[in-house]
Amino acid sequence: MSSDTVLVVGGGPGGLRAAQGIADVGHDVVLIEKLDHLGGSPITQRYSGLTPHGELAQPQIQRLIDPVTSSPHAEVRLGTEVVGVAGEPGAFTVTLRGASGTSDETVECGAIIIATGFSHFDPGRSTQMYGYFEFPDVITQPDLEAMLSDHRVLRPSNGQPPERICFVQCVGSRDRQIGNEYCSKVCCAVASKEATELRQLLPDSKVLIFYIDMRMYGYWENEIYWPAQEEHHVQYVKGLITEVLPKGDRLLVRGEDTTMGRPMEVLMDLVVLSVGMEASPGTRELARLAGVKQNKFGFIEAVGAPLDPVSTDRAGIYACGAALGPADLEDTVSSAAGAAMKAVGFLRSRRVAAH
Amino acid sequence: MSVTAASPALNDAHYKAWNVAGYPDVPTDTKVQLFDQIKGDIRFADYLHGCYECGICVAACPSARFYDFSPRRIAQAAAREDVDLIYQQIQEDIWECSQCFSCLRCPRGNNPGGIITIMREVAVRNGLASAKEALVGYSRIIYKIMSTGTQVSPDMLGRDSFPDWGPETADVADNLDLWRRALPPETMHTTSTGWSVAESTLVELYLIWMETGALDMIAEVDRGLHTILLELMEERLEEEGIEP
Amino acid sequence: MTIPFEALRRAKSAEGPVTDRRALEDPRAELLELERQGELIVQKIDREAVTVSTKYGREKRIQKSHLWHHKSCGQCGHIPGYSTSIFWLMRKLGYDYHDPHDQTSCTAWNYYASATSNPAAQAAVAVRNFAAAYETGYFPLIHCGTSYGHYKDVREELIRYPELRAQVRAVMAKLGKPLVLPEEIVHYSEWIHALRGEIAAQRVRDVSGIVVSVHPACHYHKIVPGDAIYDPDFYGGQRTAVVTGLAEALGSTVADYSTWFDCCGFGFRHILVQRDFSRSFATLRKIEVMKEEANPDVVLTHDTGCVTTLDKSQFAAKAHGRNVGLPVLSDAQFAALALGAHPYRVCQLHWHSADYRPLLEKMGIDWEKAWAEFQRDLRRLESGEKRYLDWDDAEGVHDKNEPPGSPTGDEHDS
Repeated sequence: MSSDTVLVVGGGPGGLRAAQGIADVGHDVVLIEKLDHLGGSPITQRYSGLTPHGELAQPQIQRLIDPVTSSPHAEVRLGTEVVGVAGEPGAFTVTLRGASGTSDETVECGAIIIATGFSHFDPGRSTQMYGYFEFPDVITQPDLEAMLSDHRVLRPSNGQPPERICFVQCVGSRDRQIGNEYCSKVCCAVASKEATELRQLLPDSKVLIFYIDMRMYGYWENEIYWPAQEEHHVQYVKGLITEVLPKGDRLLVRGEDTTMGRPMEVLMDLVVLSVGMEASPGTRELARLAGVKQNKFGFIEAVGAPLDPVSTDRAGIYACGAALGPADLEDTVSSAAGAAMKAVGFLRSRRVAAH
Repeated sequence: MSVTAASPALNDAHYKAWNVAGYPDVPTDTKVQLFDQIKGDIRFADYLHGCYECGICVAACPSARFYDFSPRRIAQAAAREDVDLIYQQIQEDIWECSQCFSCLRCPRGNNPGGIITIMREVAVRNGLASAKEALVGYSRIIYKIMSTGTQVSPDMLGRDSFPDWGPETADVADNLDLWRRALPPETMHTTSTGWSVAESTLVELYLIWMETGALDMIAEVDRGLHTILLELMEERLEEEGIEP
Repeated sequence: MTIPFEALRRAKSAEGPVTDRRALEDPRAELLELERQGELIVQKIDREAVTVSTKYGREKRIQKSHLWHHKSCGQCGHIPGYSTSIFWLMRKLGYDYHDPHDQTSCTAWNYYASATSNPAAQAAVAVRNFAAAYETGYFPLIHCGTSYGHYKDVREELIRYPELRAQVRAVMAKLGKPLVLPEEIVHYSEWIHALRGEIAAQRVRDVSGIVVSVHPACHYHKIVPGDAIYDPDFYGGQRTAVVTGLAEALGSTVADYSTWFDCCGFGFRHILVQRDFSRSFATLRKIEVMKEEANPDVVLTHDTGCVTTLDKSQFAAKAHGRNVGLPVLSDAQFAALALGAHPYRVCQLHWHSADYRPLLEKMGIDWEKAWAEFQRDLRRLESGEKRYLDWDDAEGVHDKNEPPGSPTGDEHDS
């Protein structure tokens, strides 16, 4: 490694696309990933189909992994994390820690891209009474993704296929009390996608989505939302659920049917919480180590936004994907390519300056 | 008027007439003034942010189940500053709230129950019809709390006061004095108050009601009660040599 | 596929704490800061205290002894066994306390019912009571759920609005009292929860066969929700732990039902002058659901209004053939019974409406004998032998043929 190398921290879709971008223009890149595999949340959490087109996560993400692992310019280090960042823009000294038992290693790089992604909101902290840690049949979107990957969606309480399933949107997002005031962007599309998959897997099921607004940007409207309603008969009810309690062997969910203007209680077999995105511990830690500014939600602050969505407040350090804030796959690969360009541009400008 | 004459136009004016609505319609200026009092309350800005109509407040609200009542509509009307709707709500809806504050689950941090509390204070202070109607039969309790520092005293459980609570309540009434003397805590051997309140405490309480304007709030709602309480408190304070 | 809750929880905590805005809220710290600025005085906890956890992780301390009992108007007025049981428990555990005459009601029942008051008056009433406690050196313990919730609100308003502080300070100055607030606002059910181990250790009656359904008071856990006891050992930390903690510590079984979070329907104004709402709500949304789903022997709650509403709403409903008929007790009365208290001398159950006798029978309490004893007490009062009953009478010290010191005189074996 040298000051001509870019260090990309995080081996998810963002990090992979950034590394690919850097390698594509002939620069050396080292990709650091804390876990023992690449792919980020879609692979670690075993997502099923990914928005927008529902293509299965595994093969789709593989198409991001292969160009990196096969490039002579890219070096991938799994099971490695950053424990220290020192030095100057253009000549950073980064301390890496590998498997336990091995000693730390110090490496040089000219630029850093933070691609440490997000965490799902912990539903135990929701303002509303969902009882995630009390009731087995209250699950989250990522829990459901794993079930869909297995093509087996069963009620955790009794192993039976659910007949009545509902989604609760905005869990952990758009909430002043928690402090996550932002919208997590993807959960409406993901819920609709999962609802569609459920209707196909369990044709006798009734699937409802309880929402505040349906965030269906651009082509999501006609590619995701309309088919969910029109072809798969997913039912959308405007009114958020506030309580989940056990009734018999089912769950009673309470909300207001705002369209009809009256309180509503319905029984469900499975309740899926559409949990939002938060800055991951990795993002927070790396921000601290690298001394870059975070916004008030803990994500990396893109100081030049909106025209420059990837620069941090430190020269030579960039960020991409969900480390910056809620992002879907399209956002992530876009900002990753942008960050790669920025990083390479930075290195070349220093090379020119040095001469 | 002949039988075949046309029925009166069922227009806005009809529905807003006092005998139909149950309260008088007032000029817009008055409605604006009432809203300004609500908005000017020290707590208002903390009780109302924005509302994205998620319906969580209605879902949690006990009154919404039994009345045509909606904390969401209260927050929405206040946010829109719709003085006509707010006037209607202050006259029709606000007394249905149970003041349970289940609506504090609002993800925007609104407090519809709190907005209603402010609206009620404005209704009381201005002697609005809804306040007078809501507090019919309640003056005894206001008198009790303001003059004795406790409310719902033992002697309120009269023989026929709460027939729907069951015959045990009548038993209490029949044995009140005896049963009160049979209570171990020595402060509770009382019948006209919940516990025996020190005289000095009452003096302090009267000063509080008068200094904070709480007593004067009821002047428009129940003038007779106000006069009685004012005389009582002024006299007592005078005995202590205190100038309110 | 089972959701591995424990593994998830461990993974979450291993990830490290996320900055939750609410975890940073600390009314105690804000009060102390205002004290540093000379804005008010904070009465400190100055005796042994138990530490409990609240909803977002803030630790709260509950002083065990030397407490100033801020009584509840509704309890003392209509359900005097409730207040009596709180005092009795404190005496049973050997903790000293002060029962003041210089206390007013928090007046919040009237405020929430009629709005014939305002923030300054409500704050001044609160502070006057706190000042009375402060003068004695005993730390305030709040008996009523609404007083507790209302005082949490008052505290927040005094912290947030300097103009309100100034106004209240001026009123207090006229009374010759300081603007003082306790460092924690403590509800008696929190004291019971904190000391449930000590309480359970003195249990003499077997309640292991008793099924309990718990009704949490809205004003306890919905006003300033961060300042309420939550414990991962109860409901996975997803619902408040008080009352449930006590019931389980005593060995009874707590049964769940689908309207747990619902209000009781008290309504403040409604329970007095618009009772069709209160009794309809209490019956349809709480009692009937509890009966059908939990089938408990007793409903336990921890607030004046809740006991009143749930207890008193059943009679009229029964006349309509509704599925009601559950005794309603406070956690204090239930704990007192479990520890051997007399059902009439202490728990004053004759003031209750819904039939409690099947519960007493199930607990092995001979209520007929107890009632006879109580009647004898009343005869002694009527005859002029005594003017009032006292705590010795409550212990049955004067019962014939009973050695002094026996629990109540109506139980020889547990």
